[in-house]
Amino acid sequence: MFRMQIFWTALFHRSLLLGGVWTSLTGAEALALGGLVTALAVWLSLRLLPATHPLVLWRAVRHIPRFIAGSVDGGVDVARRAFSPNMRLRPGWLEVQTDLPDGARVVLGGELSLMPGTLAAGSEDGKLLVHVLDTDAGFDNAIPREAEDIATIIGHKPKARP
Amino acid sequence: MADIATYVLTGLGLVFFIAGTVGLIRFPDQFSRLHALTKGDNLGLGFIALGVAFQTETWAQVAMLLLIWGLALLAAGTVSQLVARAAVSESQKP
Repeated sequence: MFRMQIFWTALFHRSLLLGGVWTSLTGAEALALGGLVTALAVWLSLRLLPATHPLVLWRAVRHIPRFIAGSVDGGVDVARRAFSPNMRLRPGWLEVQTDLPDGARVVLGGELSLMPGTLAAGSEDGKLLVHVLDTDAGFDNAIPREAEDIATIIGHKPKARP
Repeated sequence: MADIATYVLTGLGLVFFIAGTVGLIRFPDQFSRLHALTKGDNLGLGFIALGVAFQTETWAQVAMLLLIWGLALLAAGTVSQLVARAAVSESQKP
């Protein structure tokens, strides 16, 4: 029952996404062909990447303002450092423990790479390797919050730690 | 009015693209350089898309600009991770 629910939500979300892409590319012309192409694309996407988690769309949408604010912060921070004479760089590495599933960990890495001062470099044994631009600036404080947001978007419940 | 918004926003976008490039040249190691490229270009493209959006005539064109920015974001986040990962495993080689 739960699995079917995940399947149908994924079908709905992906139809919405891919249908939206078709509509914006064609300017709402050729809708019959668009419907066919969208259906095919959704079928292919569900085959290649079966849904495993119940994605909560409104939580993803609610996350967008934070993401954009973080992108702006990240860009401004890096621009200020690039133009300032001494750049104030103190690069270092962090290992972030996370129990997010594989796909979500990649999403977290991609997002962190656009947030201020952090850059993901893949993961090892479930730990995300994060490069920090300035170890004194407290960039890493934002990481748990991002991970938590992504976990709630995909409806992932953290395993209880002993 | 719309023209002024376009000038200001695309101008800002260019500043961030230049910042990304300056960072790529000035920053000391390959990981710091990746920071500059991904974050600078992401914001630069965002401002340019926003600026161009003031010249559009239909909502479909706005949607297309959003799509372009979204896809570029996705690519930036993914590619920077791949490049960083490759650089890590390269530097760990004996």
